Amino acid sequence: MKLLRNIYLSMAVLFCAACSEDYLEKAPLDTINTGNYPTNESELVSLVNGAYQPLQWPKLYNLRMWTTDIMAGNSIVGAGGGTDGIETQDLSNFVTTSDNAGVLDLWRGPWPGILRANIALEVAPELSIDQEIKDRSMGEAYFLRAHYYFILVRFFGDVPLIVEPQSADDDLYPARDSEELVWAQIISDLELAVDLLPEKNTYSAGDLGRASKGSALGMLAKVHLTLGNWQQVVDLTSEIEGLGYDLNENYADNFNPAAENSVESLFEVQYASNGGYGFWGNENQAAWTSAFMGPRGSNFVAGAYGWNQPTEEFVNSYEEDDLRKDATILYEQGPQFDGKSYDAAYSLTGYNVRKFLVPLAVSASYDNSPLNFPILRFSDILLMKAEALNELGQTSEAETPLNRVRDRAGLEDIATGLSKEGFREAVLHERRMELAFEGQRWFDLIRVGDGAYALAFLHSIGKTNATTNHLLLPIPQKEIDTNPKLSQNTGY
Amino acid sequence: MSSILHMSFLDPMLIEKVGRKTAKLALFIWAVCGMLTVQANSHELSLSDEQQIDDIVVTGKVTDENGEGLPGATVKVKNTSLGTITDIEGNFSLEVPKDAVLVFSFVGYMSQEVVLNGQSVINASLSTDLTSLEEVVVIGYGKTKTKDLTGAVSIVDPDDLGQQPVSNIGDAIQGRAAGVSVTTSGQPGNNPTFRIRGTGTINNNDPFIVVDGMPLNGGLNQINMSDIESVQVLKDASATAIYGARGANGVVLITTKRGMRGEASVTFDAYTGITEATNTLDVLNAKEFAQLSNEMLTNGGLDPNPDFADPESLGNGTDWLGAFFDRGKVNSYTLSYSNGNDKSNVYTSLNYFDQEGIILNTGYKRYNLQFNTDTEITRNVKFGNSLKLNHDIKEQGEFNIQNAILSLPTQPIRREDGGFSGAIGQPLYSGDVDNPIGKATIVDMSTRGYNAQGSLFGEITFLKYLTFKSIGGVEANIWKNRTWTPSYEWDSDISQNAYLYEAANQSITLLWDNTLTYQQSLDNGLNLTALIGSSAQQNDFEFISGSIQDFQSEETQTLNNGIAQMNLDGSGSEWALFSYFVRFNLDFESKYYLTGTVRRDGSSRFGEGNRYGTFPSGSVAWRVSQEDFFDVGFIEDLKIRGGYGITGNQEIGNYSFASSYNTYLYNFNNTFVSAVVPTVLPNTNVRWESQEQINVGLDLTMFKGRVSATIDGYVKNTKDMLVPQSVPVTSGYSDIYVPSINAGQMRNKGIETVINTVNIEHEKLIWTSDIVFSFNHNEVIDINSETPLTRGGIGLNYNLARIQPGYPVNVFYGFVTDGIFQTDEGVQQSAVQIPGSSSATSTSAGDIRFQDLNNDGIINDNDRTFLGNPNPDFIYSLNNTLTYGNFSLNIFLQGVQGRDIFNANRIYTEGMAITTNQNASVLDRWMGPGTSNTMPRAIYGDPNNNARPSNRYIEDGSYLRVKNITLAYNIPAKLIGRGSFGGAKVYLSGQNLFTFTNYSGLDPEVGVDGIDNNLYPVTRTVSIGLNVKF
Repeated sequence: MKLLRNIYLSMAVLFCAACSEDYLEKAPLDTINTGNYPTNESELVSLVNGAYQPLQWPKLYNLRMWTTDIMAGNSIVGAGGGTDGIETQDLSNFVTTSDNAGVLDLWRGPWPGILRANIALEVAPELSIDQEIKDRSMGEAYFLRAHYYFILVRFFGDVPLIVEPQSADDDLYPARDSEELVWAQIISDLELAVDLLPEKNTYSAGDLGRASKGSALGMLAKVHLTLGNWQQVVDLTSEIEGLGYDLNENYADNFNPAAENSVESLFEVQYASNGGYGFWGNENQAAWTSAFMGPRGSNFVAGAYGWNQPTEEFVNSYEEDDLRKDATILYEQGPQFDGKSYDAAYSLTGYNVRKFLVPLAVSASYDNSPLNFPILRFSDILLMKAEALNELGQTSEAETPLNRVRDRAGLEDIATGLSKEGFREAVLHERRMELAFEGQRWFDLIRVGDGAYALAFLHSIGKTNATTNHLLLPIPQKEIDTNPKLSQNTGY
Repeated sequence: MSSILHMSFLDPMLIEKVGRKTAKLALFIWAVCGMLTVQANSHELSLSDEQQIDDIVVTGKVTDENGEGLPGATVKVKNTSLGTITDIEGNFSLEVPKDAVLVFSFVGYMSQEVVLNGQSVINASLSTDLTSLEEVVVIGYGKTKTKDLTGAVSIVDPDDLGQQPVSNIGDAIQGRAAGVSVTTSGQPGNNPTFRIRGTGTINNNDPFIVVDGMPLNGGLNQINMSDIESVQVLKDASATAIYGARGANGVVLITTKRGMRGEASVTFDAYTGITEATNTLDVLNAKEFAQLSNEMLTNGGLDPNPDFADPESLGNGTDWLGAFFDRGKVNSYTLSYSNGNDKSNVYTSLNYFDQEGIILNTGYKRYNLQFNTDTEITRNVKFGNSLKLNHDIKEQGEFNIQNAILSLPTQPIRREDGGFSGAIGQPLYSGDVDNPIGKATIVDMSTRGYNAQGSLFGEITFLKYLTFKSIGGVEANIWKNRTWTPSYEWDSDISQNAYLYEAANQSITLLWDNTLTYQQSLDNGLNLTALIGSSAQQNDFEFISGSIQDFQSEETQTLNNGIAQMNLDGSGSEWALFSYFVRFNLDFESKYYLTGTVRRDGSSRFGEGNRYGTFPSGSVAWRVSQEDFFDVGFIEDLKIRGGYGITGNQEIGNYSFASSYNTYLYNFNNTFVSAVVPTVLPNTNVRWESQEQINVGLDLTMFKGRVSATIDGYVKNTKDMLVPQSVPVTSGYSDIYVPSINAGQMRNKGIETVINTVNIEHEKLIWTSDIVFSFNHNEVIDINSETPLTRGGIGLNYNLARIQPGYPVNVFYGFVTDGIFQTDEGVQQSAVQIPGSSSATSTSAGDIRFQDLNNDGIINDNDRTFLGNPNPDFIYSLNNTLTYGNFSLNIFLQGVQGRDIFNANRIYTEGMAITTNQNASVLDRWMGPGTSNTMPRAIYGDPNNNARPSNRYIEDGSYLRVKNITLAYNIPAKLIGRGSFGGAKVYLSGQNLFTFTNYSGLDPEVGVDGIDNNLYPVTRTVSIGLNVKF
């Protein structure tokens, strides 16, 4: 019987050999447990880096932000025909519906950035780490959160205002908060960012490109410009002028992959070559601009999908001898690109955008362009200042910053003695040419005169479908379906 | 698991801990064993008394119907364990009690009982068991006989499958088992898709596959078909509940061959065949294309291509499809060896399989080794092993069937210098299609698999009725993917840098199962089998990949030779499962049956609060024909079955419960920095999907075994189905990876029928038929959201299918066409589609009229509706086997009825929106009032969006196929003469010979979702084969 007992005992052991509790404890191997992160400076910095990342996405600056220039009438979609770019086509024809894929992207792009900034702002104060890094990180988070809301509020108007990270236990179904609340939050975030962020010139080469005091001041100036708070614009832009920013001598250097984060740059989306990850996904580090805007069938650049073809009207808007034309546009008699001559047949309009193209020597494949995308340049600051001074009635003082921009473009000074209206028109025209295809035109159109300026302009170039309702995008139907508390914008 | 093994034996603390923990269990086993021992001993005692007194020696011969000796047949004294097996000639000799009853049995034959009555020579002639009632069936963790089944189990005998030139058993059993739908892929090396009793969930629907007691982690291609002894498909919950959290999608049990007692035999099995497409597609020739191009551009307000000014002069042009599709070939060789005696047996085999696909540069090669042994150390102690080694290579270029259709017939495949051609000139004219022959030729994509699955088991029988079995196994799956694209310059299509991607995946699974089985037949007619067991399984997975570009020499295709865009990736995951299970089977006089099962599964995939799930089931059966009152002369056997149970599906991802950050990248001033980001909102409560199923069945044998039938009806309710949680993106979490919650429901109900008949049973001529019918109706009940889920995305704006409560899963959704506008007046009188004044940019005569379903005067997304159902009404098959002397003919028909296919290829190949080639069907396009009411006008850019998903692309996907015809001739051993020759078979086989269908695409067998988008078609194969035995 002893043998039997042994058999039973070993069987019992065998049956239960694996029933130790930790046999079934399997934590993810390739992701970080949120419970014990962050603990130190570099971990906090990595979280903040995460908050920058949505800027790079095709939902925002890699595609949808610059295609707003198509909506604004600077260019047409071009692309491959059929359904290629159909959503942008609909936007630019003002037949947008609430299932527009581009609108969905613009809605979906900013929120992950807001969450990441919110997480950083929640955890940073608890960490006992170097105060300088903590301040900078929080400043970056405030700046980024403000920027994401700035995108949302201009496209959609009222949006939910979420300033704390949400977890599964929170109410995930917010209603839209009033635009005023959102603007107030943006201003307060940016003011905090101005206080917390270091100046650009204190950044080492490896940190250059982070939001700096100048970025926050410039963004705040743009917020006030949008709201028509002219005196604040003048004050803020003047403060920026004292921080050492200047115009690049050569306009094209703003789009030169070898001259990024230049003296003219207050903030730009960082792209880089050889960053790995899939080109079409959110995590890719390369810029889409060159591959997308390259003339279709040309071999000028890798990719060359033929998007964003400037209209005749836009090209004809250049003043004679404007140096920016050759830097911005490809046209048949224009200078060669990378040793190749342009053929009007590459494009439905006869023109392609040049300023974002990188030659094959820099990016041999479609998915490797390192070219940053400018969000805030010093020329923009100067033009903001000119516009604000003019609105404050100081038109002659306004000529100085405007002429600084014109001078760099090889143009003569603006005619003196212009009326306030005339000068406003001159500044807006200058902005259109100076900041062409940088995703600024749409916002300039809709902010002036409460939309009247936009409609007048759009109708003048044949976009007669455009109505006041179109100046705000629809809330994507998919999102309303997910969260019925979201109301729809008028007209959709 | 190795560490646990190690610990459990060596660490006394653990033994003590474990002992304490399982005191209850041990006590239970002890009590059961003790009780049984008492009973058993008394029984045994009386028997052995008799034995000693009146033993005599009986000799004899067991033969088949033709008088040929049956080696390896079992001769047993009834109700004892006394017995022997016959030798090579079929002879036996056995010492038995004088008044014993001898039971002669052999697999595939009817058992025979002979009362000894003092005789010393007994010859038995066994007849073939046409009804297979005595056939041994593998069920989870045990075996039973067909006649004793209480659940719904389909049994497929590979010998009945004809000689099909396919690489895996899944393809071969298509249509053979009721309720089991198999969709094969034409691409060499692809594994088939199973659906057992319909689509049970919107998530993973793959059945749990167990081979020789070990779950199969890799694919069915790992197993050589010739090695397979039997396939059982467990379908209802009472059969699958023993697999608990992995039983919900059904279970496929595969058993490989083991050595046969008797003479050593060597078998050589070889076939060779050619393959081709089952259907061809017609596209426009150069002249027709040029006409289309001119018309399309002119209609679009654009200048036509000046090169096409005279279409007539262009002739036929390039035949891209002809160059793209070609005949392939298939070869398979298997050499196997089998031997055995009373103490041990061995089966081993080697297989080489080589298939060349019908698309340029696609193919599959495979090497398999199988090694199975069983050894009896003493009468009560056995051990054995099963080992499978496999290496396979799946190769392809970058093939794209749509591009082969769209390529311009006016463009040559190669330029005069021998290089491939690319588009030349304006994209408006050149179509801009990647040269499909070039891509298929120069790109090299391969998957190399290295798979090993091995297990060792030991089995101890003690106290007469108890068997303890322990099985430990390892499966290693390593597969490597490689893509090589050389640099090329095909006119305007330039890829400046060569590109290499290599990836290695490694998955290691460990298994350790223990079972204790108690089995006893009592004198009073009660048979009892009880099983208690535990199972521990774990898996570790690792993935690494790298890619690089720009090679100095394109001969050196390794990662260290590139210089640009280096990219590394990697990941890892693991899971573990620990389970207990109990099953009992009671059977009284083979008349009343009762079966109960409970499994408790603990899984690392479930959140902490839900770590363990319990899955019970029960079933009963009643053999009505055994009752005294049963008096229907022509029915020999009638059994009614019923069962109910709950099973689970744990394929929910490894870490859905965990809250974690991912590490991505950002850069500052071109210096990369890590970006730590939250992705998915975690669901800490995530758990298995559960499914309750009720099954009622009937087994019938009548007319002296000439007709047998099995009918099953079932209702399967999937509850707790994981559905995407509608987390608004305002939360900031990923809109791509949304969390899932256990809140969905789905229902499948259906009826399955199998009828086997022996139509003619003549001395030389035998004709048998098998008819299989399976009806299934699927309905989505709840997805926890008002918004339907969309599926079947084939591009930016195209989602073809929906999952919506009240409808079958994956129903097609879109617009409804209402003919073609014949005049512009017609356009004005109808709902507004695309407004405008120019026929080049707005809806115009020749465009499709879409139905204004909500009557609001505007055609928009609100006018979409349900267009079709990809889930078939029923599937069926008819198998006929005719044997005449040494000839046999097997004809197998297989069909799918009442299924819709969304032929998404036609969105591109009949779109007439860009200047690419099109299907020949566009020759019937609208060219003026009255010319067509189905095919719209050709217009560049398709302003009316005629191509939008609509019922225009829905086709009837029903088909009836002559799946296989095999004509075989058996060369009897006698014919060649003595010596080592043991018989041979030569055969001619045709696979997918004819297909009857209205479907216009390449082949109607297009995958479970019913969307035909660039799919590799199923192919026709004609082969000849030889099977020799020595």
